[in-house]
Amino acid sequence: MSDVKTHKVKDIFVEGPIDPAFIATSIAKHATRMDIGAHEIFLGQVRADEHRSSNSAVRSVGAIEYTAYRDMALERMTAIREEAFAKWPSMTCLHVHHSLGTIRAGELCFLVFASAPHRAAAREAVAWVVDRIKAELPIFGREVLSDSTHLWKTNS
Amino acid sequence: MEVLLFGILAEKAGSDRVEVQVTSIAQLRQAMAEQIPGLERIDHLIAVDRVVVHDDRPLNGREEIALLPPFAGG
Repeated sequence: MSDVKTHKVKDIFVEGPIDPAFIATSIAKHATRMDIGAHEIFLGQVRADEHRSSNSAVRSVGAIEYTAYRDMALERMTAIREEAFAKWPSMTCLHVHHSLGTIRAGELCFLVFASAPHRAAAREAVAWVVDRIKAELPIFGREVLSDSTHLWKTNS
Repeated sequence: MEVLLFGILAEKAGSDRVEVQVTSIAQLRQAMAEQIPGLERIDHLIAVDRVVVHDDRPLNGREEIALLPPFAGG
């Protein structure tokens, strides 16, 4: 694969939801890599959280509109990738995609996919990379509620 | 200099960028508080050239400045 262990700035952002068929294709592309023994995948899905308004009406999240400070996000992601390959040098490849634009509840908005000869490196790297991205990438989410009002999502 | 705004901060300001004349982070904080109603109640970070800064420092006017509301990726 062309992007194995390269550390150039890669664009992680995709417009709209992540298509499950894209993930299947991505997995299939690794079939030529005979040194891989383990894949680990994290998928983020938009959850229909319920929010109670001041008059106690319950409103659920119908979609999240994602925006990003793209240049900073890609710089941070490049640094996180480099750290991940330094921490887990056996990792064969790491793929990250995050949605921008409107993603409806139930659709996928985030993919972190690591491959390695053995499962420990792939598992640990994915968990670590997901946490770092949530904490450090300037991505913003406007939650559109069922009554057409909105709230701004905050990662806890 | 131009300050980039995102998310709820762009919404409050009614624009994704504002113009300020400042020479330090401390002056920037004060100028932004005057431009964005309710800024003191919104958690935010300041990024200089795409790196988050916490302490006061001089600004020469050529930096890329951004105000970042809470992150929501993932």
